[in-house]
Amino acid sequence: MIEAAEVKDRIREYVREEFAKSKGINEITDQEVLTKNGIIDSMGIFRLVAFLEETFNVRIGDEEITHDNLESVDAIERLVITKTKK
Amino acid sequence: MAYLLQQLLSKSARAYPEKMAVWARGMSIAYRELEEQSNQLAHLLRKRGVKKGDRVGLFFPKCVQSVVSMLGVLKAGGVYVPLDPQAPADRVGYIIENCGIRVLITNHEKRQALSSETSSALECCILIDESGNGDAANSWSALSEFPADHAPQVSLIETDLAYILYTSGSTGRPKGVMLSHQNALTFVEWCAEEFKVNCNDQLSNHAPLHFDLSVFDIYNTLEAGATVYLITEELALFPTSLANFIESKGITIWYSVPSALMLLLLHAHLTPEKLKSVRTILFAGEVFPMKYLRQLADISQNSELYNLYGPTETNVCTYYKIERERLSTLEKLPIGIACANTEAFAVTPDGRLAAQGEPGELYVRGPSVTYGYWADSDKTRTMVVPNQFQPHFEEKMYRTGDIVMLSDDGNYYFQGRRDSMIKSRGYRIELGEIESALLSHPGVREAAVLAVPDEVMGNRIRAVVAAHVPDSITALELQQYCASRVPKYMIPELIDLCEELPKTSTGKIDRVKLAQSARGPLQIPGRATTARPQPFLQQ
Repeated sequence: MIEAAEVKDRIREYVREEFAKSKGINEITDQEVLTKNGIIDSMGIFRLVAFLEETFNVRIGDEEITHDNLESVDAIERLVITKTKK
Repeated sequence: MAYLLQQLLSKSARAYPEKMAVWARGMSIAYRELEEQSNQLAHLLRKRGVKKGDRVGLFFPKCVQSVVSMLGVLKAGGVYVPLDPQAPADRVGYIIENCGIRVLITNHEKRQALSSETSSALECCILIDESGNGDAANSWSALSEFPADHAPQVSLIETDLAYILYTSGSTGRPKGVMLSHQNALTFVEWCAEEFKVNCNDQLSNHAPLHFDLSVFDIYNTLEAGATVYLITEELALFPTSLANFIESKGITIWYSVPSALMLLLLHAHLTPEKLKSVRTILFAGEVFPMKYLRQLADISQNSELYNLYGPTETNVCTYYKIERERLSTLEKLPIGIACANTEAFAVTPDGRLAAQGEPGELYVRGPSVTYGYWADSDKTRTMVVPNQFQPHFEEKMYRTGDIVMLSDDGNYYFQGRRDSMIKSRGYRIELGEIESALLSHPGVREAAVLAVPDEVMGNRIRAVVAAHVPDSITALELQQYCASRVPKYMIPELIDLCEELPKTSTGKIDRVKLAQSARGPLQIPGRATTARPQPFLQQ
């Protein structure tokens, strides 16, 4: 079982390396709205979901791919934690 | 008869004062309110020195105030310039300087994002959110001090400019397409007639406001006394939420790029139920792959589907109404026939009108055609040219750069481009603009940017770069450098570094060879896709 803190670290690291850095953004906070300034675009959302499914061994349904669930590192962590507890 | 865009609003405000005109982010505005607020804003703008023909920038994410601002600027006699709220400061600064914007309507956050150089060039920023720093005179709350029942007196005619839309430019900088009231109204009036937009319609606005698709959404709504729902960038990212939005708002007319519809098809489990209110689906901006169009046609049995075609310079110039009975056999989607009051024809390289079945460059003439590019008479002269087929008086036509062919079914078909402009998710991109951005990096010696065709996105962008000093720069550094110069959708997804770019015998960059090595399978974005695109120049 992955520790909660580790979940967040891995999500943050992925978002930073995969999306933020190439767009000239080196640091993101856990509350930053990732969808707001184009950090993640429409294709990026699905790369992110694929990463979460593979890394945390969870299944995220299309209906769960929503702004509320994926808007920030904090929100993504909540989604993953809920999923791994099931 | 309306000859100015703002007259569309005034007419509907008289007919439907209490009806909702615009909805965005949970806020809405009724026609009377929209008429009054835009009058007030126009007075405020005049007081801040905006004169007839002055350019006023709009720089904030889509919201109800976006539409108030567009109309307010027009009523002040100005020309509005919608700026991409996600564009880097360098590009925004360039546009502000290029078209001489002195007054900017923006919000707190976006004002902070401007470079200090840009900020100091501006005479005034009007904030749509409360200022909080004591500058109440230039915030939205100041509007109430101005007359609401009438707009300022400005003498305007239909050939005056209404707005400027900036698109990618091949020389490394965006270019401003100038559009007049008449240019826009020619298109709006055709749409009103063809799509029978009425006061019960609920239109969606998916495209960003700096993108010409939004002209239909906003002005055909106002023309008909209908309601437009502005879809924010955040909502557009989530197909399931977007499908629910279409259903819950009872959208009747949808207009977007095909890739937005494809994301709905692929990820939102679209059912006929979700689209039951939608009577018309319009798409434009890129080629709709037949496979997905057939799926869409199956799900949206109650909707009429239209493929609209036309560069920003002409609004829309041709259209094709999808004939469902032909869909199973049609191999390629036509761009169709010319819209009303527009003539479109193909011209061969030797300057003749192309015969049926003969490819030629598409030229367009009519009142929807732009005057040209702001402060760029050279570019204007090459693209908006005298009509050689009309020897008796002076008339202009626009050369689209698109190669088309008239088929025996009476429709035009798109064949390709004359230059290196490409489309990605409907965005028009000059590969030369990205190459210029890369080459402006001090460490870069050579750069070539390639478009790799992709079923869903249209094209994906890759670059190959040779540095002055090998290993002195990384791909990530170059992506970050691009991020400060070009919009996010123009940043190459993958940058390969090599010692030298392949050359042809004449010493030019061998684009054919590069394109061949790039042909490897690029993953179509989807649930199963985690793999990074493979580098296409193996070191």
